Amino acid sequence: MSAAAGGALGSARRAARPFIGLVLVLILGVISSPRGAGGSIVFLSAGNLTDILLQQGEIGIIALAMTLVVIAGGIDLSVGSVLAFSASLAGLLLVRWAPHIPAGAQIAATVAAVLALGAAIGAVNGAIITRLRLQPFVMTLAAMIGVRGLTKWMTGNTNIDFGFDAAASARFSDIFSHKPLILSAWAVLAVAAHLVLARTTYGRYLRAIGENEKAAFFTGLPIRMARTATYVACGAAAALAGLIHAARSHQGNPNDGVAYELDVIAAVVIGGTALSGGQGSILGTVTGTLVLGVLTNVLRLRMVDSNVELMAKALIIIVAVWLQRRDRNAPSA
Amino acid sequence: MKRLPALPLFPALLAAVLVAGCKPQAASPEASAAGAQPQRLVVFSQCNNAEPYRAAQNAEMQRLWDKVPGVRLMVMDAQQDSAKQISQIETAIRLSPSLLIVAPNERAPLSEVMGDAQKAGIPVICLERDIAQPNYTTWIRADNEAIGRLVGEFVVAQLKARYGEPRGRIVELAGLKGVEAEINRSGGAHEVWKDYPGIEIVTEAVANWLQSTAKDRMTEILSAVPRIDVVYARNDPMAMGAYLAAREKGREKEMIFVGVDGLEGEAGGIEKVRQGILAATFVYPLCVDKAVEIGTRILDEPGFKPDKVYTMTSHIVTRETLGK
Repeated sequence: MSAAAGGALGSARRAARPFIGLVLVLILGVISSPRGAGGSIVFLSAGNLTDILLQQGEIGIIALAMTLVVIAGGIDLSVGSVLAFSASLAGLLLVRWAPHIPAGAQIAATVAAVLALGAAIGAVNGAIITRLRLQPFVMTLAAMIGVRGLTKWMTGNTNIDFGFDAAASARFSDIFSHKPLILSAWAVLAVAAHLVLARTTYGRYLRAIGENEKAAFFTGLPIRMARTATYVACGAAAALAGLIHAARSHQGNPNDGVAYELDVIAAVVIGGTALSGGQGSILGTVTGTLVLGVLTNVLRLRMVDSNVELMAKALIIIVAVWLQRRDRNAPSA
Repeated sequence: MKRLPALPLFPALLAAVLVAGCKPQAASPEASAAGAQPQRLVVFSQCNNAEPYRAAQNAEMQRLWDKVPGVRLMVMDAQQDSAKQISQIETAIRLSPSLLIVAPNERAPLSEVMGDAQKAGIPVICLERDIAQPNYTTWIRADNEAIGRLVGEFVVAQLKARYGEPRGRIVELAGLKGVEAEINRSGGAHEVWKDYPGIEIVTEAVANWLQSTAKDRMTEILSAVPRIDVVYARNDPMAMGAYLAAREKGREKEMIFVGVDGLEGEAGGIEKVRQGILAATFVYPLCVDKAVEIGTRILDEPGFKPDKVYTMTSHIVTRETLGK
């Protein structure tokens, strides 16, 4: 067997790892599922399966952009705070702001403002990381703390309720909590992120920068621009997730989204993206997101203690990453 | 490329933040009119501004103290961190306030520092939660267990009305486990229900007091549990989250939703009862009006000795009580 063929086989095997995990949790789900009326398997019902997708939608959308950040050798800890900021800002703009424009226009303006500000937070993260050369961990940790403070200050620590009448906020809730909309947004963004990473020069830049920044620098790659763009994408993705979050929970809550960044990073890592940068795929991340979602769903359908759920999550993360390490360290042919 | 002169920027930035962060202390007209009366400082150490219940407490505290002439209120937020609250109270003691009000974050850690304040001659009002030793002048408490019992009795009555006898299936949504409010709101209701074998608690899910988390937990419960009569959420936002999940599946008419807190305002439970979303909410008293009443007497009446404990009562809010 030629070395090239062996390498290709190895990488195919590596790419398949997260799928094995997904298949395993799916089997677990079928076996352990409670039975519905007439002996049907509740876990496999269309309603339950789309519930899983819906509940993972927010994490899933952010994880796509996080994959790009991580592949380029970065990390973004601020996404949970940006999600809360966006949800709360949406609340303020939809409920407290009373412009003399039609509800549709108010919703459009709100969505545009929230996405733009999310992207702007990402741009600040990226600019400070690349220009002032702060470590991504430190900068986005500061952003996580600062944006949370801003969010609580801006809302006066209160939840902003959306109501059910015909107001802009209620209509916004109906639109953005719509199952098909959330799922297709996730799917479209996943395909787009995959194409960017796998088919464009920019995607190759990100891998090169994450693999070896010095080499990328001497090759003359636009490192600052390329990395900053990943943080902008991450900020915008967190803002979109925030809009969905606000619509689904029918309120803007400044205390939501705590520790979401950890779920997002876990999904990325389970999907086979190396935190050291350079390696990873969108397909892996989507699979990783689903593994986490299915696993929690399986445990919750069985009404397993929520603390046990956390332990199971931890185990999955360790095993998934260990399997990938073993693959990477093994001789490639 | 020229590097930014970062070091001199830093103090400038800090100064800007401080200036922007401090609200101008406008002297209230009463205070300046009082003139002769010295400014008296009241410090309120709040364990966590971020909860809606506590935000309501703060607002009420500010509103009521504003009416008392010659008093300046200072609110400190411990952000749910006992160590932070201890150091804030230590700082407060240095300011020698005329009155210290503490909503303690946890029982044991706050006991000593509240004792220190008393030793420094500062009257201390312990608000709502208990501490491990009675290191306070007076304790104004709310009774979560009594609320739990009220919930339990309300649910029994509802089930009797529905089936002619007290039987039915209950789903519970819990707040943070191990917290006093969670333990007693749960315990009080269970104490009532244990006498009724027909009442079945189908499941209890932990939703950490949050509306969004409660919606997700309830979604799974609805998939796994075919018939539900009552959802008892340990606060109103979680009851609202459960309602949203049931509504999404078209099952909101099948069950009733019961919450606790009964806050005013657009996002509060009372409004949700008015809208017919919650069958009932149970008011968890803010305790603030009593605190200001007793606090004012401590300030103004030198010989006044308050009771050691005042217990605030809860009451049920339903559409009927609102109609009255």
